[in-house]
Amino acid sequence: MPRRLGEYRPDATRSENALNVARMFDIYLLEAAINGILLGGVLALLALGLNLVFGVIDVVWICYAELIMMGMYGMFYLVSVYHFPFVAAALISIGLVAILGILLHLIVIAPLLNAAPINQLLATGGVLAFLQALATVVFGIDFRNLGIRMPVIEIADMFISYARLLAFGTALAGMVAVYLFLTKTYTGTAIRAIAQDRQIMPLMGVDSRRIYLVTSAIGGGLAGLASCLLVLQYDVHPFIGLTFGPITFMICVLGGLGNMIGGFVAAFLFAEIISVGGLYLDLEWGYVFAFVFFIVVMFFRPRGLLARNS
Amino acid sequence: MGVASPYHARRALPRVARPRIVAAKAATQGEMGMRMLMRRGLASLVLACGLIAALAAPAVAQEKKIKIGVVYDLTGPFAGGGSDLHYLGAKIMIDYINRTGGVEGYKIEPIYVDAQSKPDVAINEAVRLIEQEKVDMLLGFFSSAECVPAAARIEQFKKFMWITTCIAAPVLEGRNMKYVFRPQPFGRQWGVSSTAMVAHYSKAQLGKDPKDVRIAIVHEDGAYGTDVAKGTAEGAKTVSLEVVLHEGYSATAPDLSSMITKLKRARPDVLFHTGYNPDITLMLRQAREGGLRFSTLIGHGAGYGVYSKLKETLGADASHIFNVDPISIWQANAKALRPELIPLIKTIGEDYLKAKPETTIKSAHVGMAASNTYLFLSDVLPRAIKKYGGIDSEALRKAALDVDIPEGGTMLGFGVKFLGEGSTMAGQNDRAAPVVVQYIDDKAWVVWPPSQQEREPVLKLPASSPYAAK
Repeated sequence: MPRRLGEYRPDATRSENALNVARMFDIYLLEAAINGILLGGVLALLALGLNLVFGVIDVVWICYAELIMMGMYGMFYLVSVYHFPFVAAALISIGLVAILGILLHLIVIAPLLNAAPINQLLATGGVLAFLQALATVVFGIDFRNLGIRMPVIEIADMFISYARLLAFGTALAGMVAVYLFLTKTYTGTAIRAIAQDRQIMPLMGVDSRRIYLVTSAIGGGLAGLASCLLVLQYDVHPFIGLTFGPITFMICVLGGLGNMIGGFVAAFLFAEIISVGGLYLDLEWGYVFAFVFFIVVMFFRPRGLLARNS
Repeated sequence: MGVASPYHARRALPRVARPRIVAAKAATQGEMGMRMLMRRGLASLVLACGLIAALAAPAVAQEKKIKIGVVYDLTGPFAGGGSDLHYLGAKIMIDYINRTGGVEGYKIEPIYVDAQSKPDVAINEAVRLIEQEKVDMLLGFFSSAECVPAAARIEQFKKFMWITTCIAAPVLEGRNMKYVFRPQPFGRQWGVSSTAMVAHYSKAQLGKDPKDVRIAIVHEDGAYGTDVAKGTAEGAKTVSLEVVLHEGYSATAPDLSSMITKLKRARPDVLFHTGYNPDITLMLRQAREGGLRFSTLIGHGAGYGVYSKLKETLGADASHIFNVDPISIWQANAKALRPELIPLIKTIGEDYLKAKPETTIKSAHVGMAASNTYLFLSDVLPRAIKKYGGIDSEALRKAALDVDIPEGGTMLGFGVKFLGEGSTMAGQNDRAAPVVVQYIDDKAWVVWPPSQQEREPVLKLPASSPYAAK
């Protein structure tokens, strides 16, 4: 077996072992750290919409990644089959997934708003299975991709994925936009107010049904936005949601369910552990460390890193 | 089934005849004449029907059936990774056999089930097929992750299992299976074959002795990838290639960029990769974006066997990639095959294109399942019926152990002789072997072993490839 970086071998000389440790801190470590930040951007973007919806409506969309999958199919058909320009296709896909978010709320969530959380979870879990099956029947099992090859940025022997950079930038911009919307607009203020107290605000004249619909549309829209960026990096197939769904949910819980800043921080922490951990040990160990970190945090801060007070 | 049994048809005759005698005594002459005529007509009709039924009886009795549970992944990630093509190959062959009269008076009744790319579903479906559908045997299985536990469960039921696809050695190795048979080569042969080819051409094409060739082995960490990677490491050791990285990853991992960085640090000349699909395209996409360079990329089956998907994702960069698999039946040396197989290969190709008209290069996957299914239906099953008197697991097992087909006797080119009890790989076809193909200019060329070579391999990627080592 080839010798791992940093590995101590009793049969090697002291200087050989020291050199092997020193070799750990090379340009590739920096590249792995940058890759971790970029992966964090992707995960943060995924967590943003899920956190917003939970923060306001108090329901976890377990099927969130499947909404993204539908958006990716929308992008595929609009760009590859109907030859729409990418930006136009992205706007349409965001709109379509926003409508899906509204429909999800009206058909599934609204009748269960006062039901036990487990019932709400099961219902959105049912939607997950439904969307997977629907995609299999309608789109087939083939892996689809846009066939778009994004440029690569090369800086000092380091390569940075343009698609990842785009996702990272969009996640930051999305975060700022959602923050500004929630703090600077009347509807945003109403959303925050509802998030703080669902019982009292309707008595003070806030139309909670409208607020829920707006929140669902924004949540869906953010899923649509994520789908436009993920389709540049991943093949789309009916089960692509399984790749992102569990990890997105974990990040939301790690950051504090409903806390968008917490989700943002958790996404980067998680991604860095996976990326740098995977560099020095087997890739799978990176995930093991990330999950151990999650468990430890849950022991000491069961409500998440930046949990809400209420 | 709605088919009248000959027993009931014969019983119908006296029941109609008896009332005719009783009625004749009670009726007047005129009425009797009319009734007599009507009844005679009716009786004649019933008699005729009875005769027809009696004549048809031997034919009906001949329509015996063998129920086969056919298990592939029709949904989930493995489906697009090649399993749906194996399903198609098996179905084409079963339909063909039924169309041409069945096997020794037996009609094949397939029950197709979807394992959903999940080992637990594969096991549950196999058990359901045995216990509820009462199948006589099981056939298929794409993923080794499903195959390993499913084979053990099916063996517990003492049901016959004919594996058309999955290749991991642990399915059979050291388990002394009695009723599980695999005509396919097994996983480690993939790696042994590809490393032998690299060592053979390294000096001439890479300008390096094998001991100076740096290779990296990356694989999905399921039973399939692990076994093939083990074979690659063994093969590398045998031919003295230097392994600079050996790493597994989960086929569902959302990100492989750390592994790409590690590969860059290891600077391999040759990359040996075993994966399903979307992980293959994810790795190659991230490799391009991450600036990974190498001279040679050798894929080991599954997603690498579906060229159309590679081409769709990678475009021109799919050129010069190698794949190891049993030979495509459409590329097997026709002169070396049994003559009666040639028109059959053509028929399978036509049915394949009918089912998937968008196909550019016919995938080896379809032919693999078709050939292995045909081997069972044309050789094992008839022998079980004729020589061992039936289709029970014991008869099928004995018939399988009797198979002795020399090279050129199957559509895949290799011969068939199963290892029996006492062998560590009992149930494995000892004469099976994969070949190495290389995709060049949208055509798959057999480049290894020399006995089946269509052209020499080109180990160095063209300079135009974004992966090409500078």
